[in-house]
Amino acid sequence: MSWPRLAAACLLLGGCATSSLVLLPDDEGHQGQVAVLETDGKPTEAVISQGNSRTKLGDPTPSTQPLGNKGLKAQEAALLTSLPPPAKSFVLYFDLGTVTPTPESQAVLTALRAEIASRTGPQVEVTGHTDTVGSEADNDRLSQQRAEEVLNWLASQGFDRSLMSATGRGERELKQPTMDNISNAANRRVEVIVR
Amino acid sequence: MVRRILAAAAVASLAFSPAHAEIARIKSSTGAAAIERGANHIPASPGLQINPGDRLVTGKGGRMSLSFIDNTRFAVGPNSNVAVNEFQYDRTRQKGSFVTQVDRGSLAVVSGKIAKSGRDAMKVRTPNTLLGVRGTKFIVEVPE
Repeated sequence: MSWPRLAAACLLLGGCATSSLVLLPDDEGHQGQVAVLETDGKPTEAVISQGNSRTKLGDPTPSTQPLGNKGLKAQEAALLTSLPPPAKSFVLYFDLGTVTPTPESQAVLTALRAEIASRTGPQVEVTGHTDTVGSEADNDRLSQQRAEEVLNWLASQGFDRSLMSATGRGERELKQPTMDNISNAANRRVEVIVR
Repeated sequence: MVRRILAAAAVASLAFSPAHAEIARIKSSTGAAAIERGANHIPASPGLQINPGDRLVTGKGGRMSLSFIDNTRFAVGPNSNVAVNEFQYDRTRQKGSFVTQVDRGSLAVVSGKIAKSGRDAMKVRTPNTLLGVRGTKFIVEVPE
């Protein structure tokens, strides 16, 4: 087959303009892998595990090259720069049976407010927890109330409720596992994830 | 026994939260950047909620970024067409499955909890390959 005809066939098939993969370590420096499970519809077993590498996809046994001195292409670097910031977590603590954060947790509320304000298109997930004092049903209610209390405070600070969700997990996800009916300050908490 | 049934009912009511159809939100966008949802073409403005099946489409010079509820993060480059074919996530068990299809352009991914929840629970499809994501950061490029 002549080159022009091959090129035309590639355009028709849409497969010859080979897609590629750049594999990088994550933000904590941990290196994961990407497996090539199928190529052109056929099962393959290649695993790409070399960090800071580039792989042309489409061959059943793709060859991986280090990025080397040239590093990332300008458009790849720009793409990474536009990734959203990672999610950030906050924890607020509560006195036994109450729904108001402890005085020490007031500073966390302030930091939480600043974090949400600093993000575009923020999403806030509020999850309430209790210790094991009281019945499961009461603790489901209490944990939900704790989460809603935090959500209501954020709403009072001007954040739209559509950004936020509140869930109660009762005593199902103890931070410090205990027997039933044990008062535990670390377990009486609300966890907030800001994305 | 009655108490146990009541507790189970309380759990069921807690688990039911209709607002959770949301799987991701647009965090930023520039230039020509939109979501195709069925026949609808929705500008990708920050805060827009993404549903399973949505297509992320950018034109020349267009970009968008988004964060998913399992903490996966995406950046979509110019001239791209990317479909979020499947996204299922159980927040409580932190498990799910996630299939993205890159038909054209470029996509940067930082994987989240779904990729950690099981081998190849997160997959990315290009026109000629199917990739299984095993916890990492990567860029997929599909030239036109």
